Amino acid sequence: MDRRTFLAGGLGASLVPLMGRFAFAAGKPVTWWYESATPEQQQAIADVLIGGFNAAHPDYSLTIDYRGSEFDKQMRVALLSGTGPDVVYTAGPSYVAPMARAGQLLALDDYAETFGWNKRILPVFLEMGKYDGKLYALPKTYETLGIFFNQTFFDKNGWKAPTTIAELEALADEALKAKLVPFAAGNANWRPANEHYVTIALNSIAGPDNVYKALTGELPWTAEPFVAAISKLNDWWQKGYFGPDYFSLTDEQAFALMANGKAATMPSGTWQFQRIPTYFPPVNSECGFVGFPSADGIGEPVYALGVGSTLSIAAVSQIPDGAAAAIDYVFSPEFYSKMNSVWQGEWNTPLVDLSAVQISNEVPALYAETMKTLADAVADNHYGYTSWTFLPPATDSQLVNGIEEVWLGRSTVADFLAQLDATFQQEKADGKVPAVPAR
Amino acid sequence: MHRLYLVPTLLINVVIIFIPAVLTIALAFYRWDGIGMPVFVGLANFRQLLADRVFWTALGNNVIWTVIFLTVPIAMGLLAATMMLVARRGSTFFQVVYFLPMVIATAITARVWQGMIYSPLSGIAGLITRAGFPVPNPLTQTSTALYGIAVVDLWHWWGFLCVIFFAALRQVPQEQIEAARIEGASFWQMLRYVLLPGIRPTITLMMIMTIIWSFLVFDFVYILTQGGPAFSSEVLSTLAYRSAFYDLAVGKAAAVAVVISLFGLATTAVYIRLQAKEFDQ
Repeated sequence: MDRRTFLAGGLGASLVPLMGRFAFAAGKPVTWWYESATPEQQQAIADVLIGGFNAAHPDYSLTIDYRGSEFDKQMRVALLSGTGPDVVYTAGPSYVAPMARAGQLLALDDYAETFGWNKRILPVFLEMGKYDGKLYALPKTYETLGIFFNQTFFDKNGWKAPTTIAELEALADEALKAKLVPFAAGNANWRPANEHYVTIALNSIAGPDNVYKALTGELPWTAEPFVAAISKLNDWWQKGYFGPDYFSLTDEQAFALMANGKAATMPSGTWQFQRIPTYFPPVNSECGFVGFPSADGIGEPVYALGVGSTLSIAAVSQIPDGAAAAIDYVFSPEFYSKMNSVWQGEWNTPLVDLSAVQISNEVPALYAETMKTLADAVADNHYGYTSWTFLPPATDSQLVNGIEEVWLGRSTVADFLAQLDATFQQEKADGKVPAVPAR
Repeated sequence: MHRLYLVPTLLINVVIIFIPAVLTIALAFYRWDGIGMPVFVGLANFRQLLADRVFWTALGNNVIWTVIFLTVPIAMGLLAATMMLVARRGSTFFQVVYFLPMVIATAITARVWQGMIYSPLSGIAGLITRAGFPVPNPLTQTSTALYGIAVVDLWHWWGFLCVIFFAALRQVPQEQIEAARIEGASFWQMLRYVLLPGIRPTITLMMIMTIIWSFLVFDFVYILTQGGPAFSSEVLSTLAYRSAFYDLAVGKAAAVAVVISLFGLATTAVYIRLQAKEFDQ
């Protein structure tokens, strides 16, 4: 090979990665930045989202750019400098209001009318995406918290899923006696996991009505119901319900402990459903899931509502119609069926009507049942509030870090709640509290 | 004409260092969420820092970190380098072994220690615990978290100092070493009166850099504990990062960055002064 051929070949090869965006793109390019995803998840996105959308909309060519776990910071910088993707994927509703206020997002009201989102999406979620009366974001997925347990292991021990706090504590005490960890849990890979348990305590012990009042400013976070809730959570920690290795374990390791019968239960979110096929078949066991029991007077288990990510359109997008079409595709029963058949817990879009949804038989029936229960709870207005969805950023950060101080004896429940309230009131005054739908 | 040669480096410094530095200092006087328009608040961010006990914890941790890294790795590096100088056999092999942790990416080093050494499930600590000798994970205790991280960073860092000191020791005039030997100097006398004075500028530079780097420490802390549990291993840089990217308080983060820079500036000023004195001599 002579030098000229080598150079020409090298130049040509270096241009190959760019060709996809220009030469081979059949339609107008619609860009979307996504966080990190495993190779299997990327394949699911390529097949179901990109493949499905591009086939249904030949005028457009959707591309997904994987930006890693820090993608939300990149997104903020990009939007600030007037660039970024067409589809704006945020880390939750608390980011929507500041972005909308800064004029970085496009109002979606016209698209909601055109595509019929107002009828197809649960109204609560449309309310959460509003700022100043206009719709700016739709939730990509919604989730809730509850208790996972090994049903086979429970049956063997003659245990029943707890339906009251007293039953839960009796079960936990029994597990402690049997040298089992009552609540499999760990925050080694994701420190904000702390807030899952605070969210459970606030909703199941203080109650969603009180949380709603606090979010809307009617009740301070220092009020008695919250003192009782955090005190109860702290009691559980001090009694050893969370085990000795909370700060050493990842949530996946905790899930494995629960599946293997080394922990009695695992209070966690519906995103853990994706781990069932990995950890339950090898131990010939069946997984169970129930809502977290509520304190006396609150009634049925409260399903705290969480939205971990939202979809919007960049104000500077050159192709907003294409971006809207891509978002619309995500809210179709066809997409819901296909994506949730291969990847559970991350694409649970809040569709009003799930009757047209058909999930693969390989997916545990428990998942579909749980999602149906959650959808019904939301439709009946009987839902709670997750901290990562409804609290503004600094308050949420205070909650995540402050609860560790309570658990480890470096702060009191009263001090923790006082700091939480002070931070919340400041952010509320700054207009940073995400939209809270009326109950 | 020759001054034009300065332009490229000057341009890089202005664009990459000077402008961001000026912007950071300016932002320390604003309240900004990193998304909307900044609002001028004067010294409010600094007042907020002074009243924030986490800031004082972080500052205290940076001071502890500095003291650790000014003593332990420098002592270890000096001792090992001197021993390699005295017993030359195998010194190349040991240099490679000592330097190896330095070339491993921080994230990998941290994950190896977290998963294979400290973990109660998959680590050596867990193995020892299961054998009947309970070894708690230092990263999970408020009293030991900072030291647990420091051990990981020490493992990765001291070999680098050792190699630097060894290179410097080899520059000490052989005649001085031979003369000391003939005079019957012991190992410690040789170290105290010949070798250490011979490499004093190198040690000074390394100590100055250690102070500056200690106030910039971020990677190992963030990967291993993210400043926890309960802020026990929080340092100024993780506080700044959390403020900027989790609390969306970019102004407060900038104020923390300014404090970090002040320590770096003070240390640099001391170094420049020491150098100027040496030139005068």
